[in-house]
Amino acid sequence: MGNWRLFFLAAIVLAAAPLGLPLFAMTLLTEALILGLLAMSLDLMVGYTRMISFGHAAAYGLGAYTCGFLALHTAMPLPFSLLAAALLAGVVAIGVGWVCTMATGISFSMLTLAFAQLLYALAFKWTSVTGASDGLAGIPRRAGPFGMTVLETRNGYYYLVLASMLGGFALCRSLVNSPFGAVLRGIRENEAKTLSLGYNTRLYKISVVTISFALGGLAGALYAPFAGFANTDLLFWLFSGQVLIMVIVGGQGTLVGPILGAAFFMLVEHVLSAYTDAWALFFGLIFIGFVMFALEGIWRILTSRLPARSRA
Amino acid sequence: MDFFPFLVTQCLNALSQAALLFFLGVGLTLIFGIMRIVNFAHGSFYMLGAFIGYSVARGTGSFWAGLVLSPLIAGGFGTAFEIGLLRRLYRRDASAFLMVTFGLTLVLGEVVRLLWGVQGLQLQLPTALAGIVFLFDEPFPVYRLFLIGAGAVVAIAIWQFLERTRLGLLIRATSQNAEMVQALGVDVNLVRSGIFGVGCGLAALGGVLAAPMVTASLGMAANAIVDAFVIVIIGGMGSFPGSLCAALLVAFVQVFGTYYFPDFAIAAMYLLMLLVLVIRPGGLLGKEA
Repeated sequence: MGNWRLFFLAAIVLAAAPLGLPLFAMTLLTEALILGLLAMSLDLMVGYTRMISFGHAAAYGLGAYTCGFLALHTAMPLPFSLLAAALLAGVVAIGVGWVCTMATGISFSMLTLAFAQLLYALAFKWTSVTGASDGLAGIPRRAGPFGMTVLETRNGYYYLVLASMLGGFALCRSLVNSPFGAVLRGIRENEAKTLSLGYNTRLYKISVVTISFALGGLAGALYAPFAGFANTDLLFWLFSGQVLIMVIVGGQGTLVGPILGAAFFMLVEHVLSAYTDAWALFFGLIFIGFVMFALEGIWRILTSRLPARSRA
Repeated sequence: MDFFPFLVTQCLNALSQAALLFFLGVGLTLIFGIMRIVNFAHGSFYMLGAFIGYSVARGTGSFWAGLVLSPLIAGGFGTAFEIGLLRRLYRRDASAFLMVTFGLTLVLGEVVRLLWGVQGLQLQLPTALAGIVFLFDEPFPVYRLFLIGAGAVVAIAIWQFLERTRLGLLIRATSQNAEMVQALGVDVNLVRSGIFGVGCGLAALGGVLAAPMVTASLGMAANAIVDAFVIVIIGGMGSFPGSLCAALLVAFVQVFGTYYFPDFAIAAMYLLMLLVLVIRPGGLLGKEA
């Protein structure tokens, strides 16, 4: 059980992070964990089922707008807003999944892109709910139920994010190791064969889109009170592409990899932007390099140097 | 305004819009149909075309020089990219192309920003195209008529090229069975590099032609790529007549949608795409997906 030992080790290190890290580093780490949760949720589709979604920003944006709207217009405690956002993203995903899984391969990618753009267009027009091009600003961090004001503090919020990320990871991990996950891998390797074995692959694909969107929605919901705003950039296709980059660079089909990919993305953005304002140029080049020469991603490169016992 | 002149000018508007969308979509669909590559950087070549066209037109003082040179330069760059990077990926699955060209999108966006800045640039029209004409007593820009003409000329030229020339025959054969064409002694790699360049060049041509109307800006690429994908998917991926039909359909929906339902115009295109895909998953003229 080397994997779970590593998991607990990482959990302890991350839980102790506020003790040793300066404030700006904690902000970066919090955002990296939120993006990590998002990238991991996309990995369920991309890495395990080979459904290359180019519209995962839709899940994030849906979650962020829902949570932001609830925080601004209702007195709902934060944890309930998070759940509501994840739920809404999941429900929308049933529809999205139903339509998008009519197609496969590249057409599937394009359909998910179209859906995300449809939401993007909607966010621009539905001013009373989304604030149009201004977005939602001044989203408060509401206290939890029973007066849990600890969530309003920076570290308290970090622990909420960490708990969500670890919970999400445990869920995804169990999922991909379950019979359900085996069917997903079957679809990835050969959908026709999986179908002929009697599995309703379409139903499995819609399910994985739903779970993936719900977790992505949770990530978005965590982001809105963290950043204090939600705007249309969160729904734009460029962001979908960036999340896909995190998954590929980190290592698709590993769950841990995309989290590392998200952290790597944050780190590269932060470091490069200190030296040059054209950091996206170098990031593009790094990404091309990964696709060309290291498609296995950061996590597999790291673990292939460890003893075989602890390999994923 | 009477209904008939209104209808005529709106239809002409839609046709000129269709011409721009056609330039955008046809390169993408050619590249996909023949090479099975989804070129995510297509919108970036469109933008690159607009900026290069602007610089050439300023440098030489001639709009026409920009119109001719910009697609050639952008097309050359596309060919170099195909030879340098994409060619190494033919053994991999299609998503590798999608990701590499997405990386190129980031790179090109930054390169354009560094070279030309963030300010939108207005490409000046030559006086011959800058005026207006009166159709049924309604003013109509000459340039939009020019766009319709250019769209028609290019569409017919591509169609004749693919159907009537030996090179067109080879290209169609390559899209059917590349290995067989290779076995017949044709350098398939050369055909592919050429097609990728031509596709990028067509996008750049669309960019130059759009620049006088929308100003060359960094936002061009982001909008263009989605428009291009919508055209290609509605028309059927890889279908040349499909991209023409889709461009016309989308342009008419956009122009009349903007007039009658201004709030929903931005969503109309995506709804149209979803509708087409639900009815025909492979697109209007594509093979069944």
